[in-house]
Amino acid sequence: MTIKGKQKSIGHIMLLIVISLYLLAAFLNPTSAYSALISSLSVLKTVLPILLVVLFLMTFINSYIQPKKISQYLGQKSGLKGWLIAIISGVFSHGPGYVWYPMLSDLRAHGVKDSLIIAFFYARSIKVPWLPMMAGYFGITFTVILSFYILAAAVIQGMIAEKLMLTK
Amino acid sequence: MKTEKSIITQSFKNALRTLYTIAPMLLAVIGLVGLFQTYITPQMIHSFFTGSTLYDTLIGTITGAISVGQPFISYIIGGELNDQGISLYAITAFILSFVTLGLVQLPLEYSLFGMRFTLVRNLLSFLFSILVSLVTVYTLEVVI
Repeated sequence: MTIKGKQKSIGHIMLLIVISLYLLAAFLNPTSAYSALISSLSVLKTVLPILLVVLFLMTFINSYIQPKKISQYLGQKSGLKGWLIAIISGVFSHGPGYVWYPMLSDLRAHGVKDSLIIAFFYARSIKVPWLPMMAGYFGITFTVILSFYILAAAVIQGMIAEKLMLTK
Repeated sequence: MKTEKSIITQSFKNALRTLYTIAPMLLAVIGLVGLFQTYITPQMIHSFFTGSTLYDTLIGTITGAISVGQPFISYIIGGELNDQGISLYAITAFILSFVTLGLVQLPLEYSLFGMRFTLVRNLLSFLFSILVSLVTVYTLEVVI
């Protein structure tokens, strides 16, 4: 079976499990099951526009950016430039992480280093639009210190992952 | 030689095919998010904390990983926990793991990136949620 075929069948199994969970929930407590369904639909409504952005980015990358360029900027010899791109794009990426998975998996297939993808994921924990709210709850000093350590942790994790991935 | 239009059309078709392939898994993850948002309530999360800093930091990381929603929800829950005297170490770990770890998205991550990547990334994120919370609150105490 191809990788895509395998992904599809795992997806179908997962979807079947989730549908079964909803049926079970509806059987036990229809009100809660309905409330869960409404929550999911609301998430779907949030995710759809971001998926369109992802679709556009994937099309753009595959049409205009050659794999050679991608590996130059985000591949094995990308250096400091690669870390900066990964972290800055992580901080400014919007929406739930799983929406970005297809594009990142595509980029990975084009030669982007695992360490940079891991750094991207961790840098995503700085949510720029929500920083004022965090500062409101926990103070500006806390927000600045936490953001600084998150950026440092993103790079350190990427470096550790690079070592771990190489020692297969 | 391929024209620009045909390259874009082909790339668009490939991107659509990728999204179509992961659509069932994506719908499953979104379905799970709804279930978790309904059944894992802030009250339930609060009941896990005991008052012990180290234990609560670990609990903060685990409850953050199983919780789902917009990031601001973690600040609201964190604010409530703070008002009820839960240590800032535990709250910081909760906020961090809320956005960096996700139990519901694990199957999708595994299907697209493989077992090794998923394991390494999630283990590192778990450990760093604890470490970053420890150094953040320690630094805050030194600074203030």
